Amino acid sequence: MRPISLLSVWSDESVKVADVLEALDALRRPEPMPPTRTSVLTLVIVAKRRAEAARAQAAVHELGGRHPARVLTLLLDDSAGAGHLAAELRLLGGEADGRDVWFEEIELRVRGPVVQHLDSLIEPFTLPDLPVVCWFVTALPHVGDPLLAAADVLVVDARHFGDVACFATLAELSRRRPVVDLSWVRLTPWRALLAGLFEGPDFRPFVGCVERVEIWGRTGPRHLLGGWLADRLDLPSAAIGLSPAPHVGLRLHTRSPAGDRATFEVIRGDGRLVAARAAIADGPASEAVLQLPEATPAWGLIEALSHLERDAVYEPALRRAVEL
Amino acid sequence: MSVLPPNPLLEGLEGERRAPPCTLVVFGASGDLTARKLLPALERLARRRLLPTAFSVVGVARTEWTDEEFQARASEVVKDALAQPQWTSLTRGFRYVAGEYGDPATFERLGAVLDDLDRQRGTGGNRVFYLATVPEVFASVAEALGAHGLARPGPGAFVRVVIEKPFGRDLTSADALDTCLHRVFAENQLYRIDHYLGKETVQNVLALRFANAIFEPIWNRRYVDQVQITVAEAAGVGHRGGFYESAGAMRDIVQNHVMQVLSLTAMEPPATVDAKGIRDEKVKVLRAVKVFSPDEVAANVVRGQYERGWVEGEEVRGYREEAAVAADSRTETFVAAQLSIDNWRWAGVPFYLRTGKRLPKRVTEVAMEFHSVPHLPFPPGQARGLGPNAMVLRIQPDEGITLRFGAKVPGQALQVRTVSMDFSYGAAFVEESPEAYERLLLDAMAGDPTLFIRTDEVDQAWRICDPILDAWAAQDAPLPSYPAGSWGPAAADRLLERNGQAWRSP
Repeated sequence: MRPISLLSVWSDESVKVADVLEALDALRRPEPMPPTRTSVLTLVIVAKRRAEAARAQAAVHELGGRHPARVLTLLLDDSAGAGHLAAELRLLGGEADGRDVWFEEIELRVRGPVVQHLDSLIEPFTLPDLPVVCWFVTALPHVGDPLLAAADVLVVDARHFGDVACFATLAELSRRRPVVDLSWVRLTPWRALLAGLFEGPDFRPFVGCVERVEIWGRTGPRHLLGGWLADRLDLPSAAIGLSPAPHVGLRLHTRSPAGDRATFEVIRGDGRLVAARAAIADGPASEAVLQLPEATPAWGLIEALSHLERDAVYEPALRRAVEL
Repeated sequence: MSVLPPNPLLEGLEGERRAPPCTLVVFGASGDLTARKLLPALERLARRRLLPTAFSVVGVARTEWTDEEFQARASEVVKDALAQPQWTSLTRGFRYVAGEYGDPATFERLGAVLDDLDRQRGTGGNRVFYLATVPEVFASVAEALGAHGLARPGPGAFVRVVIEKPFGRDLTSADALDTCLHRVFAENQLYRIDHYLGKETVQNVLALRFANAIFEPIWNRRYVDQVQITVAEAAGVGHRGGFYESAGAMRDIVQNHVMQVLSLTAMEPPATVDAKGIRDEKVKVLRAVKVFSPDEVAANVVRGQYERGWVEGEEVRGYREEAAVAADSRTETFVAAQLSIDNWRWAGVPFYLRTGKRLPKRVTEVAMEFHSVPHLPFPPGQARGLGPNAMVLRIQPDEGITLRFGAKVPGQALQVRTVSMDFSYGAAFVEESPEAYERLLLDAMAGDPTLFIRTDEVDQAWRICDPILDAWAAQDAPLPSYPAGSWGPAAADRLLERNGQAWRSP
């Protein structure tokens, strides 16, 4: 098993797009490639700081050969000054699951007016007939950003933006393009565990009888969970209490029409263990424990890149999150 | 019966199906299949969050274990230390019933444990009985479940039973088993498992054929010259010599795995990709497979038995030297056949089947070779390297699709040569493929019988295989040997040579 490694590299501090395309073609030619390349998307990473771009690239590397994509990193310098384009091309290859794989990384450092016209920059690099996924790692784009027109799907991370105001922007963006929010994706275990607690004839009757919800966690995730529960269970905002905490957790207090009380909770315990428990007062109880995957940069990205379509649950959850 | 309100929190999470609350009862819980396949499959389902919160496993077997010993055994299957806490938490709820399958007390204790789990964990009276036992006890376990009121679901609940192949030794015994099972269970409660159908790439045959417009027009006698289905194993019979002696390649592989792959490859497009739609079409195409007379068996079917040889760089013993195999065994370890499907789509197209143990490599594939072009406009010298077009569906290992076609060799001259375009299933998707048992266990719990075998499919497969087995038994047909590590006896090659064709090298 050969790990994914750098096969060739090319760089130039001042180039035109045509030069980069020509270099890209030349870079591939001398390498002994597998008969065909299988790619499933063009991934555009949009960042303002090198460290953020590097983290995103590391996540893509971690996907390795399992998710072949052309990766284009746009490192933006929006300071004033003359337009400038620098490029670095990297050809990576190795073995994944016993097969030869290879993929290109294109890094463009961009300055000047072209920062406002990134759509024109990425079009020449996109693979034909495949979705273009734009991952905004530093800041959300404004709704009029021309880059949105070139993107089929936007990837963001609500936790990273760290303020409640981002939900209004995200809600607006999600009307323009499908948005895949890594925070939302990472919350899937919590949502699945909570939903699972209401399965079965003993617990299901309580799903429509939620009186009060406690949610704790960081700004972003706790709001998304709150918006989700408010929307799905048709709860007033006042029934949802949010409080800050390093890890996400939630507890639902319910009372059936017959007066039976039950609590449903999903709580992160030691390490990366999440425990879910449903308990009916004087009745059955069920519980499940889930080990979260390692918190690597790729966590969530794999799931996100597998579902590049509108999320009919996320979008209304966002709208309710704005109210919390 | 009160109707449960919908669970709005599941919305958006249903892309991956989850099992409803239930208890999985495994008969043969101390056995090999449970340890090697079922428990690891459950662990993976748990890791993927596809098991319900209200869930338990009850193991039943003769071995005198306690709940704790069964739980410890279940814990051992997890190699990944990271997943251990989650799995340990789940296995803590596992229960065990020790007892003989013929003893009514075993089933009384089982009934009490199941009731107890329903009360404590909210499993709702839903049960899946998995018969991971030797087939000889299928009937008695089913009868005992019926006699103790465990086969009938309560209001709003379900009871299903999963049984492993072999489904009989022939049509008569398969029918007898079915009659026995049907005395206790309705057909829609029965889930006959052939793990081949749980393989992603077997299901991909359906996706390739029925989700793409470009293949359907050429998927017929007008374009297809021949079809070759290969299910090859490098392994020998290992510790299964005793079982294999009474089964042979025909019963072990052809009657089930090969017939399933054949039917998925050759069936007509179903109106719907659901259990009824797919299984109806599979039965229809199996019904169109020509049944051989004894003379036709001699002309169209070759069997063989491996002798000492070299496989994957190691010298291996011959079949008759294997443990629990008779020194004068007449059991076939290899079968090759030319079948025909008598319908409009496939009339005249030979379907070559080949399966065996101790072949050069482990590979399963379906290869369709197409007719040559009606007129080749290149001088013979310029097309020397050109073979017929072919499409190969590689089922295992290295799952994917290869398309073989002619292309110009770079250079000044117009030379044409065959090239292969390769699609690797693993390289195109980021999702991890579920193991066959993982998929099928979830299907059984979720109540989706699409990938399980219906009783009429079993009957049709035996209708094709029985005359071959009968002819071999009656005629004492030749049983040529082949060296381990070869592609079978020379007679298998002659099956195709008489038609001017040859086996592929997978």
